[in-house]
Amino acid sequence: MEFFLAYLVPILTSTVYMATPLIFASIGGAFSVRGGVMALGLESMMMCGAFCAVLGSYYTSSWAFGLLCGILGGMLIALFHAILSVRYRMNQVISGIGLNLLATAATTLLMQVIWKNKGTSELVVSIDKTIGGPIPILSGQSFNFFVMVAVAVLSWIVLFRTRYGLRLRMVGEQPKAASAVGLKVHGLKYSGVLICGALAGYGGAFLSLDQLNMFVRGMTAGRGYIAVAIAILGRYNPGHIVPFALLFGFCDALQIYLQGQGVSAQLIQMLPYLMTLIVLAVGVKHIQPPAGVGKHETD
Amino acid sequence: MNAIEMRGITKIYPGVRALDNVSFSVEQGEIHSLLGENGAGKSTLMNVLYGMTTPDAGEILVDGKPVTIRRSAQAIALGIGMVHQHFMLTPVMTITENVIVGCEPVHGPFLDRKKATESVQALIDKFHFHLNASARVQALSVGEQQRVEILKALYRGANVLILDEPTAVLTPQEVGELFSVLRELKAAGKSIIIITHKLRETAEIADRVSVLRAGVMVDQGLSAAGCSASDLALMMVGRKVDLSYTRRSKSVGETAYQVQNLNLTVKGVPILRDVALEVHKGEILGIAGIEGNGQSELIEVLTGLRKPDSMELVKDGLPLSGKTAAFLSAGVGHIPEDRLVRGMIGPMTIEDNIILGYHRKKEFSRHGIRRKNEIRAFSEKQLTDYQIKAPNVQEKCGSLSGGNQQKVVVARVFSEDPDVLIAAQPTRGVDVGAQELIHSRLLDLRDAGKAVLLISADLDEVRRLSDRIAVIYEGQIVAQGSYDTWNEMELGLLMAGEKAEKEARP
Repeated sequence: MEFFLAYLVPILTSTVYMATPLIFASIGGAFSVRGGVMALGLESMMMCGAFCAVLGSYYTSSWAFGLLCGILGGMLIALFHAILSVRYRMNQVISGIGLNLLATAATTLLMQVIWKNKGTSELVVSIDKTIGGPIPILSGQSFNFFVMVAVAVLSWIVLFRTRYGLRLRMVGEQPKAASAVGLKVHGLKYSGVLICGALAGYGGAFLSLDQLNMFVRGMTAGRGYIAVAIAILGRYNPGHIVPFALLFGFCDALQIYLQGQGVSAQLIQMLPYLMTLIVLAVGVKHIQPPAGVGKHETD
Repeated sequence: MNAIEMRGITKIYPGVRALDNVSFSVEQGEIHSLLGENGAGKSTLMNVLYGMTTPDAGEILVDGKPVTIRRSAQAIALGIGMVHQHFMLTPVMTITENVIVGCEPVHGPFLDRKKATESVQALIDKFHFHLNASARVQALSVGEQQRVEILKALYRGANVLILDEPTAVLTPQEVGELFSVLRELKAAGKSIIIITHKLRETAEIADRVSVLRAGVMVDQGLSAAGCSASDLALMMVGRKVDLSYTRRSKSVGETAYQVQNLNLTVKGVPILRDVALEVHKGEILGIAGIEGNGQSELIEVLTGLRKPDSMELVKDGLPLSGKTAAFLSAGVGHIPEDRLVRGMIGPMTIEDNIILGYHRKKEFSRHGIRRKNEIRAFSEKQLTDYQIKAPNVQEKCGSLSGGNQQKVVVARVFSEDPDVLIAAQPTRGVDVGAQELIHSRLLDLRDAGKAVLLISADLDEVRRLSDRIAVIYEGQIVAQGSYDTWNEMELGLLMAGEKAEKEARP
């Protein structure tokens, strides 16, 4: 019992905390891929979300407005991605990776312009993290924990129990068929990518406003790519995505804990990424993405 | 009153008049066959009706009222449904989901899944489609998937059903099932348009026929009962086509290709069992059988694409083994059963496709560099020899019609002058003209003393061309004999697994 309280609870709390941005982003990825657009740009959407959130919070001193800006920032990148890949039918891998590179460079540049510092932004207001009180796991979490739970449940309902979800999935599986029954293929694809941007932006905002209260250069540190992996492993289904995200969150939590125990940091920091590699190598063979990813209704 | 009337439809693509002042009408409650060779404009005409192609001129009347159809959604609203040749279904979803998408029953913001399943199942039962509305599409056979496509149209209240080459992908049994479904629909007062190039099916199912040739309506609304197959073929092709033409081998030589003790098991299921076949020089051996009885695997084994569990294969007295390349260089030609999978590379040009696999030959390359002019001259000659209709040899193979694609494949295989030819479904999905050409080339090759193994799902083709026929059933050769040993009915029974009662003559 003592062991439980002393070690497991903090690690589990940290697990949920670290998994939250991954859950947001990878569920976003699910919406994008279910609509037939690859979500390799998640990293850039998170990065832009994180940056815009701090920017919004910095100018208004309101974290709520910051979160909103984070969502919009993610959606801005998503809009780029959608225009490139849906309207102009650009290769979605190139568009995604291109945007990832753009986001790193652009945020660094803007930090220099705004805060005269290429490494970190100024501190902004922090979010209240005491609402969980002394309840295990909940303590130390902000209201964003509940938002995350709501997003996970709602997104499953939207994808699998609503008309919109059925149509989005049909577009992702077979854009031609969707077009032949009179669905607005482009509109649905845009909506999927924009929802993706909003959620990934929120995930990014969580990193910069909730976990820290500033923006640090390259602060997403590959989490967008991990989210891509989680979305694949979770078969683009929020119900499966959450446990996988928690698994990665656990690795992150373990890494933080072990660092505190004096184990070589460089070695331990590999843990989440190593996990990604192993799980992908073992698991991805049997996972089929929607058949229409990267296809267009007139192909 | 006509359910559909199309007047003066014209569609011009750069350089081609795809449809030239075409008029076409369909009555309520009839099955109307829209006949024509590949590329005659049948699909374009129907795409105009279904709102997938915008015509340059002409008008459309539905139930006597002039309408404008610019999108599929408008056609659907007017009660027009289309079943495409390549199904537009999502395999991972259920029948219900595939059927309802686009006009889903909702309960507030949610899908009303119960109501959806019930109404789809009701529709299935009404027309005796024998499907389970909750089944996933990926578990269905091709024929069942086609019925789901028909359901999609019916669910949207289609009165006029357009079927694009509906039998191209079906086995003979499934064709029978489809036809009984269509008769059921006709009895319910639906009008059905079948786009096809198959004369036999037209005669079997259609009430009336319209014939398109090169974008022009040759004749429309003929009574199907009053037309002979040769009349229709003449109208389709524009010249006399002898569909029954054949000649038998004059001199059968020694054994060219001999396979014995061929066994193949795939995932624990025996696919081929103790197959023994012999093809002689100057002979066509036809394999008759219902699709899925091991033919595809037999082709793969005999061309080196698949390794069997056991086999003794002898070509011209010498054992043959190894991979496909060994078979090719030993002079075993192969017309693959699915040209899109193994026959050609769609995005590559005709000239590249026509030398594919032989590109290393001295004629086509020097020190590993392509000999551009020789390749050009060679492929242009093939284009003429095989009457391949294409603007030039630089055209992408994928943009040709099915018949012309097949001619490219045939031209490539024949230009190598193989000793043994494995011809699998050589005329599947090709029009009458191309069929005639391919058949006569096969006979020519046979007469030149080569051995031909013909595997075809088309029983007519097997009976017409073969000198000997072997019947395959569940991976076994159940009967073998001269082409005139059995009549069509007897062959049909053998293919269905009945025991041979007659003694086969050698």
